[in-house]
Amino acid sequence: MKAALRPVLRIMALWRQRFPMLTLGLVIALASVAVGVGLMASAGARLAGALVGVGAGAVLLAGWVRGLGVARIVLRYLERLVAHDATFRALGDLRVWFFRGLARRAAGGLGFLRAGDMLARVVNDVEALDGLYLRLLIPLSAVLVLLPAVVVFAARQSLALAATLAVLVAFVAFFLPWRAARGTLARGEHLSRAIAQLRITVLDAVSGLREVRAFGAEGRMLALVQARSSTLFEAQHDEARGLARASFATMLAAQAALFAVLLAASLRPAGAAGIASATTLFLTLAAFEAIALLPRAGALAGRISAAARRVLENAEAPVHSYEPPAPILTPRGFALRFEAVSFRWREDRRPVLDGLTLEVPEGAHVAVLGPSGAGKSTLAALALKIASPESGRLSLGGADYAALPADFIRRHVAWLGQTTHLFDDTIRANLRLARPDANEPALWQALEAARIADVVRDLPDGLDTWVGEGGTRFSGGQGRRLALARALLSPAPILILDEPCAGLDAATERAFLATLNEAAAGRSVLLITHRLTGVERLDRIWRLAGGKAIAAAG
Amino acid sequence: MSEKNPAQAAWLKAESRAARKFVAPVLALGLVGVALGIGQAAAIAAVLAHALVGSPRVVWGPLAGFALLAVLRAGTSFAGEIAASKAGIAGRRRLRNDVMARLFAAGPALLRRHHSGEIATAAIDRIEGLDGFYGRWLPAAGLAVAGPALVLLAAALVDLRAAALLFLAGLLVPVGMALAGIGAARAARRQFVAMARLQARFLDRVRGIATLVLYGRAEDEAAQLALAADELRRRTLRVLRVAFLSSTILDVAMVAALIGFALSAARGAAPMPALFLLLLVPEFFAPLRAFALAYQDRMQAHASAEALSALPPAPAPAPALAVRHVTASGVSVAFEGVSYSWDPARGPALEDVSFRLRAGESLVLVGPSGAGKSTIIEMLLGFIRPDRGRVTLNGADIATIVPAALAELTAWIGQKPMIFAGTLAENIRFARPSASDEAVREAARLARVDAFAAHLPHGLDTEIGEGGFGLSGGEAQRVAIARAYLKNAPLLLLDEPTAHLDPATEAEVIESLRRLAIGRTVILASHSAAAREFGGRRLDLRQGRIVTAAERGAA
Repeated sequence: MKAALRPVLRIMALWRQRFPMLTLGLVIALASVAVGVGLMASAGARLAGALVGVGAGAVLLAGWVRGLGVARIVLRYLERLVAHDATFRALGDLRVWFFRGLARRAAGGLGFLRAGDMLARVVNDVEALDGLYLRLLIPLSAVLVLLPAVVVFAARQSLALAATLAVLVAFVAFFLPWRAARGTLARGEHLSRAIAQLRITVLDAVSGLREVRAFGAEGRMLALVQARSSTLFEAQHDEARGLARASFATMLAAQAALFAVLLAASLRPAGAAGIASATTLFLTLAAFEAIALLPRAGALAGRISAAARRVLENAEAPVHSYEPPAPILTPRGFALRFEAVSFRWREDRRPVLDGLTLEVPEGAHVAVLGPSGAGKSTLAALALKIASPESGRLSLGGADYAALPADFIRRHVAWLGQTTHLFDDTIRANLRLARPDANEPALWQALEAARIADVVRDLPDGLDTWVGEGGTRFSGGQGRRLALARALLSPAPILILDEPCAGLDAATERAFLATLNEAAAGRSVLLITHRLTGVERLDRIWRLAGGKAIAAAG
Repeated sequence: MSEKNPAQAAWLKAESRAARKFVAPVLALGLVGVALGIGQAAAIAAVLAHALVGSPRVVWGPLAGFALLAVLRAGTSFAGEIAASKAGIAGRRRLRNDVMARLFAAGPALLRRHHSGEIATAAIDRIEGLDGFYGRWLPAAGLAVAGPALVLLAAALVDLRAAALLFLAGLLVPVGMALAGIGAARAARRQFVAMARLQARFLDRVRGIATLVLYGRAEDEAAQLALAADELRRRTLRVLRVAFLSSTILDVAMVAALIGFALSAARGAAPMPALFLLLLVPEFFAPLRAFALAYQDRMQAHASAEALSALPPAPAPAPALAVRHVTASGVSVAFEGVSYSWDPARGPALEDVSFRLRAGESLVLVGPSGAGKSTIIEMLLGFIRPDRGRVTLNGADIATIVPAALAELTAWIGQKPMIFAGTLAENIRFARPSASDEAVREAARLARVDAFAAHLPHGLDTEIGEGGFGLSGGEAQRVAIARAYLKNAPLLLLDEPTAHLDPATEAEVIESLRRLAIGRTVILASHSAAAREFGGRRLDLRQGRIVTAAERGAA
């Protein structure tokens, strides 16, 4: 139970900023419950009084009831509004916090994390957390008002009745939610896993529609989706059964309480004692209505806790490299050096780089050649400080990378990789990502250099054309060139181009490489590629082999 | 407004009809619950009336009745919840099977129009979002009429005037809700748009998070997200304000009914019927309350309907033509005056293309990107049909060959093979699920998969794809070649298989492909020089037309 509580407490700590609003919601909720108690008690008394004809104070009471009724309706409305507002603010904060956390450790891409799984966390898990305040905290606090009220009123009739009602209220408000929560921890995990698995399978099947058709695998893939879907449905039905059980027990307890009140009423009739009975009956009805949903919320606790854990897991995974808050050393110039660098991505994999030494002098255009898997992209990751070397060191203008914040390095090293993402936004916004203050001529210049300006000029909306999700409105080659334009727009003195021409046809590739010298004049270029076309003008060429860089003809 | 979209409305109507069988038990159990509630009201009224004005003795009859009805009612509500869960599951199961079948029938052409993430969201989240529609909204909509009607009947049996009063209070509810609802529908619609935008934006930013971080823009983007989230909150609250207002109208109507009854009770009615009528009031309003609560499930259903009705329509039944037999000697291919265009605005992708390829021959398609090479391959895979002309395999028009039989004939290797989540061996076995372990190992050996698999922690049993080890382009292409070996189909279609490989890897892959090609009919599309050394006849394409030798010489 403790392990399940920890992530929930951590999430609540993240809501610190929203405490005033959350507290306000709670206070209004309590006031509303208190007024509700008063209303039911006085309405019961008035009604019973009227029925037996003891209506001396009826007129006075009627005004009182009306006032309480109006207050109750207004407070109830306010409570819902404020409580929901506070929850949405808190959830919004959480999403942004999650994004920031992800950003801190995702510079290397989502890495080994399943993209589908990540989306599940962002969408479903954060949403599951809304029950924490609305369905658990508020009704639990209401019990603090309800329990004493019920006990005090019932005690005027009989102590036995008061004790019985107190036990039943506590049973529903505390025991049942706790009981329901106990069994749901494993279930919550199971449910989250089931939906993530289904997501991965469906994404695989859809992304692989070509393979599925080419291999006639429709039936098999459908069966797999059905199997995953069934697993999810079973998990959901399990949860539904748990919820139904909790409701069943709640209902029995509430009815038992009513029965106790009725029994007490029929044991000690009539007249004034009867009026007290009616009051207690109304109050009991109201009390159980207020806490009726708590056991269900308890049954959801497992899911809430699992969701909290998964949200935290992703956003709080440790960041490996140490980050100085500000440059400890000031680089002199922008020469980029790798000195005897060794690196492996994972303990259980071969080292990718093994004592590599390489230099990109300021303003030089350097190519690194190598077959796939030789560690070319690793070079980029190290140069961008996405990863840190196991041994050896990198330096920028003589300053050790360890002494420079990653932000500082990324302001000076621009990158175009194979996985550069085009955002579902306008061309202009996509370009300005690299330089927010870039003016129109600068944008066109970059497009020109990337050989895409003509295409953009022919579009009816020009720079304001929407590129679509992942750049889907453009062909693969055009998308690459837009990304290229973005990299060229960046004011960084060092450009790392990691296979910039992948997916371009030969003619476009040559045209681009031929203009690169001009476009990147005055900047350092590190061109990472598996082959040269012969049109590049380079100052130096390195070949990667066996984790080392070997100088080739330049 | 969503209500005015006829496609969505028709879709929802059809869904409601299809779900009727599973919704009926939920509705029936709900009605039984209302009936039991009426019985309980009578029991309580009897006991309480006795306590107020009766003689001092315990009224065991009504007390026992109350207890019995209480247990029955709890049981009914339990059964109702289980039935609702089942209805939700049955509806979603049927819908997901239907959607997936439609996606598979539409095939790869779908990916040219829709993003895979968008389709997956429809098949998962949009369908999951319909749970409440089947399990809550449909039963609640039925019960909101039948439940109060039953209570009215009970009230009428006791006091006709009181029943009329209750009926009037009940009428207040739809009127009030309609007044509130006019504004609500539009606000709700806007809220859903905002929500969809925020989600799309968030997912887009998460996918491209590396790019954001490397350009140092993560913080700006986080601020933008915070703004978007706040916008969403304000819109959601606008909807909720109205929703809460309509539930407040319910409260007011109920209080009005209670006060009316209480006043008539004060005028000296008999305690037992007066109490009974009073206790009926909450029972009367409970189904209406459930209806108001389920209204958001209906909104959700509208959003789902929008996404799901945009998917391709149900597949037409397969042509009732016999599967063509294939002779053991292989497959011959012929294009006869074939034209095709992906998009009329962009001109034809293929124009009057004719060629013939005997069984066992190899053909290399050459030309710049956009020349129509991939279009030819996709046509042979049956992904698309010619606009004009015809394509034949062993003399049979490809349009008459059912997809399953066509898939039997062909093996295909594209630019970027899809690696599924699973082990390396499972990925190879994808080509032929019935293959023995021995056959899978043999295919891995022939395609040289074993060479890199040896470096993986569990060899061929290493998890790859989503969440597993990433493979390099060359390694993924070897997996695709292993699949082709395992499948052992007579027609081999290769669509730029080395486009993303370095020269050394390309040479190795071409070598593997050359061995794979022995004894098969092969069509290779490529703009790489190395691939042209593959051997076989050459067909030059430019802008969808075949370039003759004379034209080549002239150019």
